[in-house]
Amino acid sequence: MIKLRRIGFSYAFLAPSLLLTVVLGIYPIGWAIRYMFFDYKGYGEAKFVGLDNFERLYRDGPFWHSVANTFVYAGGKLILTIPLSLVLAVVLNRAFRGRSALRAIYFMPTIISSSVMAVVFYILFNSYNGILNQYLLKLGLISVPIPWLGPKHAMLTTILIAAWGAVGNYMLLFLAGLQNIPRDVYESSSLDGANRWQQFRYLTLPMLGPVLQIVVMLAIINALKGYESIMVLTDGGPIGKTEVMYLYVYKLFFPTPSASYVPDQQFGYGSAVGFATAVIVGVVTLGYHLLSRRLNRLQ
Amino acid sequence: MIKQVGTAALVGALTVAVAACGSGGGNGGGSAASPTGSSEAASSAPASAKPAGKIKLSYWTGDRHDQDYIKEIVQKFNDTNPDGIEVEMVVKTDDFNQAIDLAFSSGQAPDLIRVKENTIQPWAKKGYLEPIDSYLTDEFKRKFPAIPDFNVIDGKTYSLPNYGSTIRLVYNKDLFKKAGIAELPKTLAEMVEDAKKLTAAGKADGAYGFAQNFKSTQSALFRSARVIAEASGYGGLGYDFKTARYDWNGYKEIIQAFKQMVDDGSTMPGMESLDIDPLRAQFAEGKIGMYLSFSSEPGVYKDQFPAKIDWAAAPAPTIDGTVKGKTSLLGGQWLAISAQSKNKDAAWKFMQYMYGDDILKTYQEKGFGLSMVPEIAKIAGKPNIVGIDGFLPTENDGTWPLEPTSAIKVEGELATDVFFKYMLSGGDLDAMIQDLNKRYNDALDKAIAAGEAKAEPDPGFDPMKIR
Repeated sequence: MIKLRRIGFSYAFLAPSLLLTVVLGIYPIGWAIRYMFFDYKGYGEAKFVGLDNFERLYRDGPFWHSVANTFVYAGGKLILTIPLSLVLAVVLNRAFRGRSALRAIYFMPTIISSSVMAVVFYILFNSYNGILNQYLLKLGLISVPIPWLGPKHAMLTTILIAAWGAVGNYMLLFLAGLQNIPRDVYESSSLDGANRWQQFRYLTLPMLGPVLQIVVMLAIINALKGYESIMVLTDGGPIGKTEVMYLYVYKLFFPTPSASYVPDQQFGYGSAVGFATAVIVGVVTLGYHLLSRRLNRLQ
Repeated sequence: MIKQVGTAALVGALTVAVAACGSGGGNGGGSAASPTGSSEAASSAPASAKPAGKIKLSYWTGDRHDQDYIKEIVQKFNDTNPDGIEVEMVVKTDDFNQAIDLAFSSGQAPDLIRVKENTIQPWAKKGYLEPIDSYLTDEFKRKFPAIPDFNVIDGKTYSLPNYGSTIRLVYNKDLFKKAGIAELPKTLAEMVEDAKKLTAAGKADGAYGFAQNFKSTQSALFRSARVIAEASGYGGLGYDFKTARYDWNGYKEIIQAFKQMVDDGSTMPGMESLDIDPLRAQFAEGKIGMYLSFSSEPGVYKDQFPAKIDWAAAPAPTIDGTVKGKTSLLGGQWLAISAQSKNKDAAWKFMQYMYGDDILKTYQEKGFGLSMVPEIAKIAGKPNIVGIDGFLPTENDGTWPLEPTSAIKVEGELATDVFFKYMLSGGDLDAMIQDLNKRYNDALDKAIAAGEAKAEPDPGFDPMKIR
């Protein structure tokens, strides 16, 4: 009886989140999985087309191009973000004047809307009157404006902006991890004559291991899924150089209207591509997870 | 730690709030969107309003250029109409089409909607719009021309015309003078040459000969290459009405000329990420010699980006200097009634008011658009706005028939993306066009087979004889 009541209690507490998960999580996924096999424009009849959407996906050059771009974007973002946020966290974990203000400043980009920031970055980076170029020209560092958002540099620019937006967030997670490392470990190691680098390499990093693993995993998922600031800054251009896969999916569901016609929404094909992107993100995340587990065991 | 993060969050929230206040001005001037769309608010109407029986309607529009005037006349309607109808006008600019889709799918659609030449077809097909044939009196039918595919779809009338847009070459008169160019370009070759001269004359001050808004390649080429193709006798969006097939060869020489301007360094740096508004802002500052665009530009340079230069508009050049086709006069529709409206009769009363002679006449005279209603065009004075002269419709403007592009699903890259890629990095243009033709025609065949598109050859089609 008591056991039954306990189970009842558990379900009562679970019910609200379970309901939300079903309505907002599982139902839409089920919806998308169903429409993967249909040709549906959001109105009229949904026509069953079997595996046609996947056949089209296989042939869809621009999509695979966007997948490649996504890996470049995510890779670049991770390479910049993780080491930088770790270093920042280690530095800001030490006691010095102004530490709190610096932490707040580094964290601020996390809470500012990425779309709003993309607009601001456009003003900074654009080639014709961007503030960045004007400064570089004034300082004599360049002689002609750099096309930051042109085909050659647009990806680099979006990566820099993405890293700017993410560093504070991961720094905070690292800080939380660092604060769990007991002080006395450092004290005893310094008595043993370990220098700062040795402390970082042989104490901080291993003891931060579990946090580091989670943070990297979150960072991978976020980097693969990010598209909002790209949409505002370049809309995937120029000539598809910054088109990432989630932006590609978005455009299938909400195509850009031109002055003369509004293309139909492609719910069926969009769902199929959305599914494929989810699988790609899932596989990468799983791969990382398995790899990090194996490394743990080896250690 | 938590305290510090809290402080950071607060500072950040304030920053965002300040930014939001700063940018809110352009979006409807504070007209609050009513999420409840149509509601028979008899019982919930505020006590201070008109007596019981009050009908509330919502009207959503994506037009920003005329919002002050339209707000004024909507207010006048609210104050004077004897039926107790109150219209709330909501201006949504950036994501108007998406807002409409979402509103309809969630049952919160407005009662009246501004429809355009590119939305009336899909929205009628999606069942968003109510046919107004039963409301149309003989007088209305006589006065407002029925334009198949643009306000009459499958025999049903969904909207009536107010104004139309033309497409022209917009040019900086000061810079042309400085560069010593006396005559406007009539051919592509002259255009390329002039862009070079304009750049030479303006580069020291940061001005360039030519620019396009390539952040969206469709938005760019379907206002620029399109009008040159049309004037040269080709379908502006790659569709050949004579054969009922896609043939992008009409774009070939135009894209080659555009590429030449890029290679010559005559185009504005950074145009690959330029949106139309930043482009206009640069033109208003005198940094662009010429570009191609719609007749909404005079309004923009009066209110949005007051032009610091002397500018004008003229017919677009053609490929070889001879005009072989009329250029697009876009329009033929304005207001439509929502199929979901619970107050369609009241909505029609508002529509009737909006299509009144005085309102349409003033609309043109204030320079918001060039009337497409023959009777109004006859009585309305010339718009009182700088730069409009060059945009006034001539015998070389006409409404092209609807081509099937909105109904086809092209696989792979869109034509405009392919062309822009060629402009920046070159390649075999003939092979690109061949591939485009194949993919577009395959998509067309599929759409025809599925009953989603119609395409019948019209061997006698003459681009100089469209209406």
